[in-house]
Amino acid sequence: MNFHGRHIISIADFNRAEILAVLRASRELAERPRPELLAKRQMATLFFEPSTRTRLSFEAAMHRCGGQVIGFSDAASSSTKKGESLADTIRMVEQYADVIVMRHPRDGSARLASSVSRVPVINGGDGANQHPSQTFLDLFTIASLFPQLERGEELKIAFAGDLKYGRTVHSLVTALGHFRVRLLLVAPDGLELPEHYLTEARAAGLEVDILPSLQDAVNQADVLYMTRLQEERFPDPLEFDHIKATYRITAAMLRSARPELRILHPLPRVGEIAPDVDATPHAHYFQQAGNGIPVRQALVGLVTGSLEAKS
Amino acid sequence: MNREPITTSASRVRQVEAIANGTVIDHIPAEVTLAVARLLTTTDDQVFIGMNLRSTRIGRKGVVKISGRELDVQAAAALALIAPSATICIIRNYEVVGKNQIPIPEVFADVAACANPNCVTNHERWPTRFLVIDRNPLQVRCHYCERAFAADELTLLR
Repeated sequence: MNFHGRHIISIADFNRAEILAVLRASRELAERPRPELLAKRQMATLFFEPSTRTRLSFEAAMHRCGGQVIGFSDAASSSTKKGESLADTIRMVEQYADVIVMRHPRDGSARLASSVSRVPVINGGDGANQHPSQTFLDLFTIASLFPQLERGEELKIAFAGDLKYGRTVHSLVTALGHFRVRLLLVAPDGLELPEHYLTEARAAGLEVDILPSLQDAVNQADVLYMTRLQEERFPDPLEFDHIKATYRITAAMLRSARPELRILHPLPRVGEIAPDVDATPHAHYFQQAGNGIPVRQALVGLVTGSLEAKS
Repeated sequence: MNREPITTSASRVRQVEAIANGTVIDHIPAEVTLAVARLLTTTDDQVFIGMNLRSTRIGRKGVVKISGRELDVQAAAALALIAPSATICIIRNYEVVGKNQIPIPEVFADVAACANPNCVTNHERWPTRFLVIDRNPLQVRCHYCERAFAADELTLLR
């Protein structure tokens, strides 16, 4: 298994052994940080659309391993504004950096970049398509909380909220296909998980239960993955208000939860997790965000050849 | 000299002029006849087009005859996206010397636009690429945006 020089574009490009190797490298870095791991390495962060948390997480990951970062954080300050093609921007930037992290509003932009770049491209989100480093950190978080995931024992993972447009949900469901998982799904009418992801999940051997309410998910799940409801998906503001009230976890709802339940969220949250949940032992979304550091260090270390993949 | 019709039975009147040498693309779904002609011919070709002809096989069909040029069947693979039922006959001296179904390639490279309006290939000058994920009915996945489409959801670039 060799990650050196490899692009990280889509979670679908990785098999189970490769995913496990990324999780293992992440765990080692979480347990034993390596401040010199990426010394003399240069990362270019090309953010053609703003994403503060993803950019900060990659930059912090790099700095804490002794690496350097160059880049821009919105397209207005890049030459795209002057009409430069994406391919040309990449051909220019690859002269300056050992690894490129990019976020771009168009679906497939990272794949295009990877087909011209001689240095590894890490996709930091391409439109509505993929955000693989988020998926790796979600998996790492779940595997750290529940070691039985890697032992092949069944985990119950609930997804709630906007399952139709939620990019993080789609990628994580794809990745979970490599493990023994029962999916519990709860979504408002019209925002259910698209049929082809259901078909794909079942084909991968996952059990899928559609649940009637968020409370059912709270009561049954080991992991509850919440997502943000976006107002623009609802033509009727009254309907949005109603759904928002229904898809909101409060500390009171957690009284009937299993003690081991952990709540994850890709953040930012708006109203779907009440602030009183933060103080409960079930809240794990901020630790999840923190896991972005070792996971992104592992990805950068592996693709730049600074880390060896162990199977 | 054998002048049997090549696209209809012997007892029927020929609906489109016969060609001595060249290529006949037959059994084209009527509504994509002009698209097929646009795809496969150049401005230098002598072309005969029949549209909305009777067909016992598909109801209404189109026929495109290219005089004087034998089409490379592999080069016509894009036909699989819009006219998978079509046949390609090579004609020499009024006789059919080769009859081919449309081959389905593994990859359609730069022949159709991606139907996802947010796909990067619709915003950058970059060739499209679709991987075949199912052959019957034909389904493809965009190499870039990763969306899956039925063949008839795509429009040809030419």
